[in-house]
Amino acid sequence: MEAQPGASSSISESRRDHVLSITDSGLAYMSLEDMLSELLERIRDALEVDTAAVLLLDEDRGVLLARAARGLEEEVRQGVQVPLARGFAGRVAAEARPIIIDLEHADVVNPILRQKGIRSMLGVPLQAEGRVIGVMHIGTLVLREFDEDDVALMQLAADRAALAIDDARHSETRAVTAIMQRTLLPEALPEIPGMRFSAKYLPAGTGVKIGGDWYDVFQLADGRLGFVVGDVVGRGVLAASVMAEIRTAVRAYVIQGHKLAEVVSMLNDLLVSMGRNRGATLSILAFDPDAEELEAVVAGHLPALVVDPDGEPRLLEQKGGLPVGVRAGNEYEAHRYPFPAGSRLLLYTDGLIERRDESIDIGFQRLADAAAASTRHPKTNLADDVYHALLDEMPLEDDVALLAIETIPLGGPLEMILPARVNVLAGMRSTLGRWLGAAGASEDEQFDVTLSASEAAANAIEHAYGGIESDFTVTCEQEADEVTVTIRDHGRWRTSRPPGGGRGLSIMRKLVDDVEIHSDEEGTVVKLTKRLADRP
Amino acid sequence: MSEIDFEQIEGMAIAQLKGDLDAANAATVQRELAEALGPDAPKLVIDLSRTRYLDSAGIDMLLRFSDRLDHRRSQLILVIPESSQLHRLLTIVGLPDAIAIHPSLDEALAGQS
Repeated sequence: MEAQPGASSSISESRRDHVLSITDSGLAYMSLEDMLSELLERIRDALEVDTAAVLLLDEDRGVLLARAARGLEEEVRQGVQVPLARGFAGRVAAEARPIIIDLEHADVVNPILRQKGIRSMLGVPLQAEGRVIGVMHIGTLVLREFDEDDVALMQLAADRAALAIDDARHSETRAVTAIMQRTLLPEALPEIPGMRFSAKYLPAGTGVKIGGDWYDVFQLADGRLGFVVGDVVGRGVLAASVMAEIRTAVRAYVIQGHKLAEVVSMLNDLLVSMGRNRGATLSILAFDPDAEELEAVVAGHLPALVVDPDGEPRLLEQKGGLPVGVRAGNEYEAHRYPFPAGSRLLLYTDGLIERRDESIDIGFQRLADAAAASTRHPKTNLADDVYHALLDEMPLEDDVALLAIETIPLGGPLEMILPARVNVLAGMRSTLGRWLGAAGASEDEQFDVTLSASEAAANAIEHAYGGIESDFTVTCEQEADEVTVTIRDHGRWRTSRPPGGGRGLSIMRKLVDDVEIHSDEEGTVVKLTKRLADRP
Repeated sequence: MSEIDFEQIEGMAIAQLKGDLDAANAATVQRELAEALGPDAPKLVIDLSRTRYLDSAGIDMLLRFSDRLDHRRSQLILVIPESSQLHRLLTIVGLPDAIAIHPSLDEALAGQS
């Protein structure tokens, strides 16, 4: 026997109290578990039935799982599963409508219902955003004919439960997403003198703010800097979890000192052996600042873009290997490219350039134009410039990850703005040494000017600041055979101690031809000048 | 990550510095040296052949450490290749008057045995 009451059934006056007990706003403050139990208890009272239960749909497996029950607690304990479209609950879910049955004449999957001696049942679907997410049913040990009022009250309770379940799921997803975003992208891009990093990460869509795209920056075992950008097939938390595995595996292999091509083929075999069944594309690059060279391995990813020091953009098109995670035993090849000071590198995922109904060549051209138009301005960066040029006017159709690496051009005047922290000194010396080399200074002269500048910078860091995060500027200029390095801090001069301290100042005076120190309320300026006698 | 490689040869402690010694790491290096040496300090050789830059903070630290060892009737010896820029710098600041400098580890060991 089945009934299909109209959607507009009214609830009789006598049920008013019962309706109020079910729509009670106090339920909203309970945990999901407590709320479902309490709701089922109230339904049992209101409709004078013996059992009440909620089953939730597992969409991936196409089954309903018992989640909460009253008078049928075994159903939850035994983890009852009902396939979609089969049995009583399965039909309620598949047909998305209330169903009333008499157990003597019905097909029931769950043996507990018969063991309990249930005679009549009413089931209604739980729906959220127009989709069935589960089933709520009640049962009696005596034969009963459920009427339209019963169905209306049940549907009211089911809607209440569906809302709470959907809410709980969303806040769970939001929490997972927030944690993943925090842990999956580098906390901060490195601060390395002579280099500038910028990045963007934009998950598409309005729901789950995480996707399968990612970027990473790290130090290789041999001291080079490593960059990765990649894209796992699919979206949401599942794609993000595979991305997390890839990111960790790459870092682990890199720390062990494997070559880049080995890292990618080991990663591929790992993913296949783990049976993740999700392909991913990625590019991994290493930058050697002393050799001014890039090494790149590509696994099915779009070519990286390099902007040469003269502003000319070009794609690093190389015979790439296949995406990872699909087939074991893939081989990958590393290619090397010159990357002289002043070059810029842009790594990205396909969401940046691909448009529906458009050839990808148009996307590449748009990218190249945007990168070439991006100027070196201290207030902007390459990732922002390219992003604004390409995506400002566009609805985001796919996730986008963007990582830009800019090296500061040597040869002309050089300006570095550095945070006032001692750990920038080594990098500053390395950049300064290369600039001096480009200016024609001998090894000895590079050493003398670099060490003097390092002394002045250490003083700027030590003396000119009162614990506030601040920065200082190093400017390098050349005129004929004379190089000048100026270290300028913007902090207030607080002590009467001479800049350079005792030994530091005497070292500077002995190593360079002229040391000029000027100190006022604006800060302190130390100007070091050396004539390059050994210049060829 | 430690800043020095440490070993003991014939009752002498050898500390090889992995890189530069400057305001950023002088305090850490000093602490690592003190920990590696322990209370009954043997003679200490600091090998600076892999060090390119040594700034005034590093020089101050070496002088303080040398004084400390002197008090315990021990000795600090530096290894710095003669042709290096570091050797030139330390000569300019007069360090050889205060601390024994040998051009190689072999000579430092031979000179002391």
